[in-house]
Amino acid sequence: MAASIELRGVEKEYRRDEFVVPVLSGLDLTVAEGEYLALMGPSGSGKTTLLNLVAGLDVATRGQVLVHGQDLGRLSESEITRWRANNVGFIFQTYNLIPVLTAAENVELPLLLTSLSRKRRKENVATALRVVGLQGRESHYPRQLSGGQEQRVAIARAIVTDPYLLVADEPTGDLDRNTADEILELLEQLNREFQKTIVMVTHDPLAARRAGRVLHLDKGRLVDDVINESSVSAAS
Amino acid sequence: MIPFKYNVRNLRVRWKTTLMTVLGTALLVASSCILFGLVEGLEHSLKVSGDPLDLIVLRKGATAETTGGFESKKADELLTLNGIARDGDGPLAAKELLNIPAAERVSGTYNNLIVRGVEPASRKLRPDFKIVAGRDFESGKGECIVSRFVAKNYKGGQVGGQLAFGEKEKYRVVGIFTAGGSSAESEVWADLKDVERNTGRDGSVSCVQIRAAGPEEFAKLRKEIEDGAQFRLAAKPEAEYFATQSDVSTFFKAAGTLIAILLTFGAMFAAANTMFSAVKSRTREIGTMRALGFSRGDVLISFLGESLLLSLLGGALGLLATLPMSFLSIETMNGNTFASVNIDFRFGFWVMAVALTMTLVMGLFGGMLPALRAVRLEVIAALREL
Amino acid sequence: MKYLTYILRNARRNPVRTGLTVASIAISMFLMMILTSFFAAMTEAQSASKDFNRIIVMNANGFAGQVPIARVRQVEAMDGVVAATPFSWYGGKYQNQRVLFAQFAVDADKVFDTLDEYKLPPDQLAAFKAEKSGAVIGPKLAREYNLKVGDPMPLQGDIYPVDLKLNIRGIYESPRNTDQRMVLFHFDYLDDQLRQLGSSSGGSTTQPSSAAGNAGIIFVKCKDAASTATLCKKIDDEYRSTDFPTRTQTEEAFGQMFSEMMGGLKDIVYWIGCAVVVSLLFVSGNAMAMAMRERTTEVAVLKAIGYDKKLVLGIVLAEAVLVAGLGGAVGALGSKALFDVVDISPFTGGFLPFFYVPWSVALTGLGVSLFLGFASGVVPAVIAANSSVINGLRKVV
Repeated sequence: MAASIELRGVEKEYRRDEFVVPVLSGLDLTVAEGEYLALMGPSGSGKTTLLNLVAGLDVATRGQVLVHGQDLGRLSESEITRWRANNVGFIFQTYNLIPVLTAAENVELPLLLTSLSRKRRKENVATALRVVGLQGRESHYPRQLSGGQEQRVAIARAIVTDPYLLVADEPTGDLDRNTADEILELLEQLNREFQKTIVMVTHDPLAARRAGRVLHLDKGRLVDDVINESSVSAAS
Repeated sequence: MIPFKYNVRNLRVRWKTTLMTVLGTALLVASSCILFGLVEGLEHSLKVSGDPLDLIVLRKGATAETTGGFESKKADELLTLNGIARDGDGPLAAKELLNIPAAERVSGTYNNLIVRGVEPASRKLRPDFKIVAGRDFESGKGECIVSRFVAKNYKGGQVGGQLAFGEKEKYRVVGIFTAGGSSAESEVWADLKDVERNTGRDGSVSCVQIRAAGPEEFAKLRKEIEDGAQFRLAAKPEAEYFATQSDVSTFFKAAGTLIAILLTFGAMFAAANTMFSAVKSRTREIGTMRALGFSRGDVLISFLGESLLLSLLGGALGLLATLPMSFLSIETMNGNTFASVNIDFRFGFWVMAVALTMTLVMGLFGGMLPALRAVRLEVIAALREL
Repeated sequence: MKYLTYILRNARRNPVRTGLTVASIAISMFLMMILTSFFAAMTEAQSASKDFNRIIVMNANGFAGQVPIARVRQVEAMDGVVAATPFSWYGGKYQNQRVLFAQFAVDADKVFDTLDEYKLPPDQLAAFKAEKSGAVIGPKLAREYNLKVGDPMPLQGDIYPVDLKLNIRGIYESPRNTDQRMVLFHFDYLDDQLRQLGSSSGGSTTQPSSAAGNAGIIFVKCKDAASTATLCKKIDDEYRSTDFPTRTQTEEAFGQMFSEMMGGLKDIVYWIGCAVVVSLLFVSGNAMAMAMRERTTEVAVLKAIGYDKKLVLGIVLAEAVLVAGLGGAVGALGSKALFDVVDISPFTGGFLPFFYVPWSVALTGLGVSLFLGFASGVVPAVIAANSSVINGLRKVV
């Protein structure tokens, strides 16, 4: 299967005054297209940093990060911003919807960056909301939605530009068990039916069980790489 | 009582916001203070000009010495009245003749100056008359003395220069005088006879200035001049006279008050904005304090106190900023006489009153609503706030 | 602009804050409008008078000097002159109170030919001309004191030792930027009384300005613009070496002379204006900074989705400009509307015959507020644009 994400000798350090804090060391990783990947590990293990690197939010100190053949390290700041707009969808633990915009307007946000006409934008928004099962809630404001509904809007926003990659940072962290399951169900569907590559950071073992592959990190190193035979990941 | 330290620390922690608010409100306070400083300067000069024993004699029905003239003969007779204070040089009374010619400022624009033809006694009838540069003029020589501000602002006004008004009127400037900050400091003084000759008005005077020997004589003189068949003139106590000349002062006060009120509102909104933001960002803290046992009243007072402190900083800074303004003096036009009047900025009662009032209003009214909002927060909701 | 929805909604996010910011700016703008209009309205009136090709003759030494009445005829006979009238300031009291409106002794036959933008119905004009004690008053005056044609208008002397018993024969109409509170009466009426007084007291004149035969100033209507300049020179040359030398200038220059005399006042007003603008910079800058500080996560999310620096900068700046612009609009345009509807001249004690906010001032005010929005929004916008995405997304525990 074609390699979709590749990390070669990736290292990441932060400088704090005179101290150099290593976060990731010597990471080599290959992720296939359509894989559903979970990143787990204790706090400070570097999983969020790894997510940021793959999503193009951060730049590796050493090594290469290639996504769909594109070496992210070679891109300038504005180029990588554009790359993110076109290729990545974000899902956050705290949903991060814009409170002053309706559900539909929130979903439309990434589309404003394209040159699509207003009509086309509206169509795409409607489609995205239908996929996540929220048709009929277009004009509701985030405060009028439940946590689960907000996360669905966030997912709709993440998929509306039809990106290749979805990154999720603890998407079920703020949800109760039932709602969490619904969201995970949705993510699985996106992976299975729409072949979205998903990289998800999570503390939730039930969430990890739904992924096709689970990576364990500790102190910036990959310590375990487990394939979930029981999952129905698109890659398998 | 929530310790005040808490408020002080908070202002310090959010120092950028505090600084911006303080600077913004200080500018508004300073602007108002400057205006009122000018008002105070004007009032001061008018007040100082009026000696309680002085009378200014004008034609009956006239309201200003610039237009209230009468015959010179009558004026001469006035000088011989009983009850006028005397000193070694004679009666403390003087005939004076005013002329208001157009003069050119150094900047090239024009204004009208008051040229006052005086007699020797005129000097004693002004508070603290002093020659501060050059010398006094000598009678009949076409000389004159000027105030500091005329010397600075008008062409030919410096010592050694010449003030020329039209073809006929020329005076050589030989000295600079001060007169205790009174209205005389907006004028040019020349010899009475010179002015009479130059303007062709040797038959009349603009006014006669008299100092009575004492309060009794004051009343008697006044009666005689006003009611006596010989005179039938208006004898106004100087203090009263100057009070009625305060048109410009009234206008300034009105304008200044309007401006200060508007600026206070502006400052109030600015302070309120800052305080609202403070309350919003400290919602959880407020909830915590209430949970710990501080009452609603404690919270209210605490935030009002912080608002007042913030305003105080702005007000104090604004007030301090006006201190260097003591050098400020502006020259403008008196709406009555259409002549030049000089106003010196004076840091005094009005200035401080304005600054204090603005500060209190800003702090109390600006801070009231935010403080009330802080108080109305329900404890549990506040603690849950992210 | 597709981002407009977001920008507008952001402004509405915290209505109290936006409201207070708009109010601060509006009030300060309102003040600026008043202060600036004070001088600008005068300037506008002055330049408007250019069209009428009028010049004004006064004594070279100032208002205290005389202009002998005989000169009016002499000037009128000059080449290029259409009409001339004396304008002698009477400065009397009305109802025994100090003068609150202008009173002028004029040539009734010539005054409305000279001041042609002042209109009077023909019958009223005829009545005015016919009666020596007749007077014509301005419409604002008529409204204030409830006067109609036919009412008496007694004036008590202040500068002059004579009283006048006038009868209102007409109420004139004139454009908005002229003095609509004047009283115009016959020069001869005043002069005759002064002469009688002079002969009965058998003495010389007391003050030159209260002597009989003083035209005060002469308003002259010239044929065209070219003749104004030549006539000014000609008149001054003619009378230069007499006892009463003249200074003749265009009506516009005459008006400017008055505002020049205000001198230092203008400077103070200018400085206060500057101080207020700078203060607003701090106020709105602070408001914007506070708003942005609360939106760090949101900005990070936008950047994560792919909104680049320039776009984020633009969005924040647009919000600042919008809010400030709204404040400016309320203050500037609101004040214009207010003073167009409300007439404050009666309350100014004659100081201001008219007061309004010219368009040039209102639009400048609006422009200044937009600039303010820009200047105050720049720093928060740049900070937001350059903020770290990762730090913004870091979960606040």
